[in-house]
Amino acid sequence: MPKTKEWAEMTWQEKRQERFNRWLNPPDVKFVSKEAEKLYKQRVTRFIKAIKLEEPDRVPVMLPTGNSPAHWGGSSFRELMYDYKKGHEIWKKFMAAFGDMDIFNGPGFIPCGRIAEVVRSKLQKLPGLGLPDDATMNQFVEGEYMMADEYDKYMLDPTDYNLRVMMPRTTPLFESFRKLPPFSAIMGNFWVSALADPDIRQTFETLMSLTEEQKKWTAASLEINQYIREHGYPSLWGGGIMAGAPFDHFADALRGTRGIASDMFRQPKKLLEAMERYLQWTIETNIKNLPLTASPICMMPLHKGDDTFMSDKQFAEFYWPTLRRLFLAMINEGLVPMPFAEGRYNNRLKQITDTPPSGVVWYFDQTDMKEAKRILGGICCIAGNVPSSVMITGTVQQVKDSCRRLIEDCAPGGGFILAGGASVDSGKIENFKAMMDAAKEYGVYKK
Amino acid sequence: MEKQWVDMSWEEKREERFRRWLSPDVRFASTEAEKAYKARVNRFIKVIKLEEPDRVPVKLPVQYYPAIHAGGNLKKVMYDYDELKRAWLKFLHDFDMDSFIPPSLVFPGKVLEMIDYKIQKWPGHGLADNAPSHQFIEGEYMPAEEYDFLIKDPADYLQRYFLPRSSGALEAFRKMSPLTPFVAIPVGYIAQFADPQIRKAYETLFAAAQETVKWAAAVGEVGQAALSAGFPNVWGGMSQAPFDMVGDFLRGTRGIMMDMFRRPDKLHEAMTRLTPIAISEGVASANASSCPIVFIPLHKGTGGFMSGKQFEEFYWPTFKKVMMGLINEGLVPLPFAEGDYEPRLEVIKDMPRGAVVWWFEKMDMARAKKILGVHTCIAGNVPVSVMCTSRPEEVKERCRKLIEVCAPGGGYILTAGAYMDKGNPDNLRAMMAAAKEYGTY
Repeated sequence: MPKTKEWAEMTWQEKRQERFNRWLNPPDVKFVSKEAEKLYKQRVTRFIKAIKLEEPDRVPVMLPTGNSPAHWGGSSFRELMYDYKKGHEIWKKFMAAFGDMDIFNGPGFIPCGRIAEVVRSKLQKLPGLGLPDDATMNQFVEGEYMMADEYDKYMLDPTDYNLRVMMPRTTPLFESFRKLPPFSAIMGNFWVSALADPDIRQTFETLMSLTEEQKKWTAASLEINQYIREHGYPSLWGGGIMAGAPFDHFADALRGTRGIASDMFRQPKKLLEAMERYLQWTIETNIKNLPLTASPICMMPLHKGDDTFMSDKQFAEFYWPTLRRLFLAMINEGLVPMPFAEGRYNNRLKQITDTPPSGVVWYFDQTDMKEAKRILGGICCIAGNVPSSVMITGTVQQVKDSCRRLIEDCAPGGGFILAGGASVDSGKIENFKAMMDAAKEYGVYKK
Repeated sequence: MEKQWVDMSWEEKREERFRRWLSPDVRFASTEAEKAYKARVNRFIKVIKLEEPDRVPVKLPVQYYPAIHAGGNLKKVMYDYDELKRAWLKFLHDFDMDSFIPPSLVFPGKVLEMIDYKIQKWPGHGLADNAPSHQFIEGEYMPAEEYDFLIKDPADYLQRYFLPRSSGALEAFRKMSPLTPFVAIPVGYIAQFADPQIRKAYETLFAAAQETVKWAAAVGEVGQAALSAGFPNVWGGMSQAPFDMVGDFLRGTRGIMMDMFRRPDKLHEAMTRLTPIAISEGVASANASSCPIVFIPLHKGTGGFMSGKQFEEFYWPTFKKVMMGLINEGLVPLPFAEGDYEPRLEVIKDMPRGAVVWWFEKMDMARAKKILGVHTCIAGNVPVSVMCTSRPEEVKERCRKLIEVCAPGGGYILTAGAYMDKGNPDNLRAMMAAAKEYGTY
């Protein structure tokens, strides 16, 4: 990892610089041309400067292309869940047709259909698997998967709880894990006989049978992203981890909105204790000593902390403290947390200012960006937020106008990334181009 | 049931479990066998509750003995399940007893070999072919720096650190990543199964599991035969003292002795963590049987291993919690105090009346009866040396003395200080005869 100075002795800025250098000079990418390499470095430099609250050559752009190349290429989310090759052809064509972009990524968020069919997770619906065949996205299915009186069980022995309680509840493939003995039994050798259960055996056999398909999917995904990099397009999210807010971990995946809302009143101490434990666990397991990854930026979608889900007081008590400490732990490893604040964060802006300058990049969905710049300017790079409605239904002129206003409000002094409020699944390629053009037309920093 | 389980007192729960124990799911060979079964179980229930039964119940001190009694040895029955069955059924046929323990701790040798189980030696595998017992191999399987991993996520620690170290065939589990409640498609989890070594480990495990099915069928058959003939099991489940879980399996004697001085807080935290696990282990194993007695072999709390102060600080508090957890589920802890527990009597009496059965190895039973026996059933303790080497008359005489001292008022089970793995079968018969002759109330 580190070269001259020992990693542990570096300041966070030094660690981050190491990681930025790795992003700028990817050792595993063979560029197709000098030109591609030059463009790649220019693009990455643009983001690095914006993150460090410096002025780059122009405002960098994160086009909200999402899964829209599928739509553009006449295919669908569902088809690409099965036909990886076709997905890649379309993405390559889209890239060639588009030309200049600051970042671009393969269809990595489209999961493998054959595996999804077998796993049958109750947590997610997919086109053809719970959603209409022509659905353009997956749908997360929230639920009360952990009961109100199970916090202690979860905290006491998290892996045991996940394996024998949660997984059978959320995923039919793992139904048989209900029958596993407590893991503590492995201190003797009685537990071996538990695996003789035919259902448990079947689950493991199924898992092993999926690995071939899984390898194909992973190889395909690596291949297309490699191709994209070689042509000079960086990826922004190379952090290698997708951590979330501790509160969301419990609210989204375990207790559900209704459950967590009651918990804030009925058992606040348990909730705080559990979040604390989860935070420690995440830091120890996922963050400390994370090797150098493709880029230091970690995308973190945030859900239940938005203006309408909870009060300012609740945000200050339940949401922010553990999230902030997670950010600090990441920053300390030289990583760049990039929370994606879905919904509105207008009330929150004043509450999230206490992180080290340039440590965090805030990506906003519907937040008032002028306010965001006023309050967070000089502290955080901000990214946002041409509404998806404009991207999908607006004219080229409307897109450009929206971008121009954002640039005028947010670009001065640096620290701004032009982005959509969310990813777009359909829409017109002209509107993406309009966004790119706007950055070039209005977003150039005068020297 | 009128009342819900959770609303019952521990005594009510225990009555419910006693009822199940009295009427097991078995077809008795005859009405006589059924009558004898109930009489035997009642004998144990009464002494547990500190009442006087018809006579002193006996637990013959037998673990591996049937293997030798049948003309073979432990190695033979560990590898040949037909022989295992034959030996234990022969023992069942040859002896009068108040209880019978099926060979569920006579582990299948082939399975231990398949998983390359490293923390035990057995005849033909590290021990002489004719060795009468197995040998536990203690070691520092958990280095001191890993306390925090264990504390944070015990199941994760046991799976990814302890198993690879204790079973050679599972070394690849080291490479598994920690298990998070992954959302939706567990791509990373599935990917691990592509690793040839991890695959191999699981394949070995499943083959070993299939082998245990054959073994378990033999054990099960013996168990049913015994019940059907009217001989109750007195071992419903098993549990451990948290200090021993850490001391025996993870840190070893040397490690844990140092820890009491160098990192007492970590040790306490780890034991606190393991306490509910030990409880659930006992409850789960007892639930799988009809008998509510939970056997708890004790090791490192004995006199000589630690001071009284250390016992009170490190050993007793979490162990007491484990026993209380079991009692609150209607179970009866049966701690087996290997070694010398005389210095502990004043401490361990601090339990609810009639809730525990203490089985002692080295103990002045008169003192035990005086200090502990007033409110707890005690069991013991003809020395194993006497059982293995003396004449039946000597055994009988020892039993008589014990009965005189311990039986008055009920609350006593006649047994030896540990198991007799080989010796004169008439010594076992002498013990039974003594109970009948001197132990009638």
